[in-house]
Amino acid sequence: MDRVIIVRYSELHLKGKNRGWFERVFAVNMEKSLKGIKHEIHRHSGRYLIENFCESDIDIILDRLGKVFGIHSFSVALKVGADMAEIFEAAKQVCFGKGKFKVETHRADKTFCLNSMQVSSEIGGRLLDENPLIKVDVHNPEFIVNIDIRENGTALVFNEFFKGAGGMPVGTSGKGMLLISGGIDSPVAGHMIAKRGMTIDCIHFHSYPYTNLQAREKVIGLAKQLSTYTCGTTLNIVSVTKIQEQIHSKCNGDYMITILRRFMMRIAERIALDCGAQCLITGESIAQVASQTVEGITSSNSVVKVLPVLRPLCGFDKDEIIERSRAIGTYQTSIEPYEDCCTVFLPKHPVTRPKLCDVLVEEEKLDVQGLVDEAVSTLEIISL
Amino acid sequence: MIYLDNAATTKPSERALKAAEKYLTEKYFNPSSLYRAGHELNLQLKEARKNIVSLIGDENKFSCVFTSGGTEADNQAILCGGKRGNIVTTLGEHSAVYEAVNEAKKRGIEVRFAELNADGSVNREHLLSLIDDKTSLVSVVHVNNETGAINDVAAIAKMVKTENEFTLFHSDGVQAFGKISFRLTKDIDLYSVSAHKIGGIKGVGALIKRKDLILKPLIFGGGQEENIRSGTENVFGIKCFEFAAIEKLEAINQYYDKIFVLKKLFCSLLDSTMFNILSSDNASPYIISLIVKGVRGETILHEVDDKGLIIGTGSACSSNGNKRHSRVILACGVDKQTADGILRISLSSETCEQEIRTAAKILNETVANRLRLMA
Repeated sequence: MDRVIIVRYSELHLKGKNRGWFERVFAVNMEKSLKGIKHEIHRHSGRYLIENFCESDIDIILDRLGKVFGIHSFSVALKVGADMAEIFEAAKQVCFGKGKFKVETHRADKTFCLNSMQVSSEIGGRLLDENPLIKVDVHNPEFIVNIDIRENGTALVFNEFFKGAGGMPVGTSGKGMLLISGGIDSPVAGHMIAKRGMTIDCIHFHSYPYTNLQAREKVIGLAKQLSTYTCGTTLNIVSVTKIQEQIHSKCNGDYMITILRRFMMRIAERIALDCGAQCLITGESIAQVASQTVEGITSSNSVVKVLPVLRPLCGFDKDEIIERSRAIGTYQTSIEPYEDCCTVFLPKHPVTRPKLCDVLVEEEKLDVQGLVDEAVSTLEIISL
Repeated sequence: MIYLDNAATTKPSERALKAAEKYLTEKYFNPSSLYRAGHELNLQLKEARKNIVSLIGDENKFSCVFTSGGTEADNQAILCGGKRGNIVTTLGEHSAVYEAVNEAKKRGIEVRFAELNADGSVNREHLLSLIDDKTSLVSVVHVNNETGAINDVAAIAKMVKTENEFTLFHSDGVQAFGKISFRLTKDIDLYSVSAHKIGGIKGVGALIKRKDLILKPLIFGGGQEENIRSGTENVFGIKCFEFAAIEKLEAINQYYDKIFVLKKLFCSLLDSTMFNILSSDNASPYIISLIVKGVRGETILHEVDDKGLIIGTGSACSSNGNKRHSRVILACGVDKQTADGILRISLSSETCEQEIRTAAKILNETVANRLRLMA
């Protein structure tokens, strides 16, 4: 009797002729997530079985599988021969000590000597005989003994379904460049887009020496946490110190954030195109801060020439974003109190509804192309 | 590399490390064990205790409890000394005392804070006015770790006892021990010291206490340290502390005079149009608090770090409005904008004139350049 983990995938069954490709990417992602842990992954019709792992690794395997997009649910099961005596032995092990229960049987192997109802009835009866503290309640059971009789002469017996991360396997929906600041929002935005199958690369802007090394480490930490959902990521780090100094000395200070964000979008698009990303992703949420008004977004969006900009949090309240941040495990890192580059040279009265014509007048005072080139030359790439 | 952040930690003394090495490699036994080798180590600990106490006080009247550092010693003093009524302390305390009294407050003890003078020393009149018949403990830092201001704790302790003879007096002596010539008086009940500020290693400190004072434990277990601080003693660290302390205390006045001259030289070399010196002339010369005008101290810290000069700021940088500015510096009456420019230069007995000259040059050049870029 071996312990195995049944993995059921979510939307892959909707795919047509390219289903095989989706399944292969999905399996590779599971392999990546279980790297360093002894295991084998076997594909069966409509599901995967993870086998030959150490019992002591079950918790960590479940934790890691919980972050793999494309998984609908998974269960820890006992794998036995498709034989009533063996099935009963396994059923005894997954049966609770007391309470109301029912037995549910599925047969992929239609040649099995009993049909599903007969298997449920027989195993249920034997369990009742064995333990007087349990009783059958098919309408409101406190636990269910599930029996899955497979075509290869094996049966899987289990009592729990764990909800998977859902979505599509990362790597099946192209690649995006996430602008990651160190705050709460951007990792959540990256997580949401990765859930739809997109590979995520990240770009972070810093203003050393105005910002510190701890702030940089914080962003590396966030990208690492995000990478546990995205099967790895690449973090691009770019200095915008010179740009901020130039804006500060030459432009109306109230436009600092507006102009800085336009530079960030230019640099992000350039690096995104260089590394094959097909869109930019930001954590902007309408009206959350002064720069995230529709006018502010129009201003920063207008410098992006080729790529679409995905803003999955646009309609979210801060509370909703925080809830998601907690759920994906980035919140505690996000609230570490280190400054990001947007808080350097912060104007007292930032322009909240910038008119593009005014922004252009201010920007005219700068060597935009030269500053972008200089910033890109500071690029540091970290593979996570 | 020029290291001028010695108030944060100092380079361990090579002599002390070498002399203590055998307690790490050969004499690794548990000093509480009954066999001969263990018992010998117990005697070594007794000797360390006696030697450290005698450097600063009368060994017949004071003893010490070895701890994991100054922070634990302060916590032990506050949480086990201030058990009832109210605790009076100052707004210039290190976080080890400040957060410990906040914890005491949560446990139902009233906490009263005395105001500071502009240099970071405590306003004595205000401190004394806060003491009443319910004051169980007064805690006053000996040398302010941010400005270097020296509180005359012997005189303050005497005044405290005049106000209420039953009040315990504690002083955080972490930045004073081994640097400022001082002897414990009968009015001081508890005094915290740390090893790594004077050439010892991190993770070792002591709470020096009046011998007849009964303290309840903060950490429970095997009953070591007269049942006040359980846990197997770090013999290597304690012996290293003992040797480093002897080394520093033997030449304390000689070092003080040298550092005093270096402080004066450093202050004279700084461009006064860009820097204000917050530390007073009679502060500990080991700590110099500066205010850079118009630039954040942390920005300068990073820039000079890249040029091989390591210094500190008055506070840990943070975007959190409540933590961005040092509460101690604000309590000195400095406004928030000015407090942004705080830098802390801290010297050790090892610091030499050339380092001071180079450091001043780097700071002058860096700040001038940054001010030009930000103009």
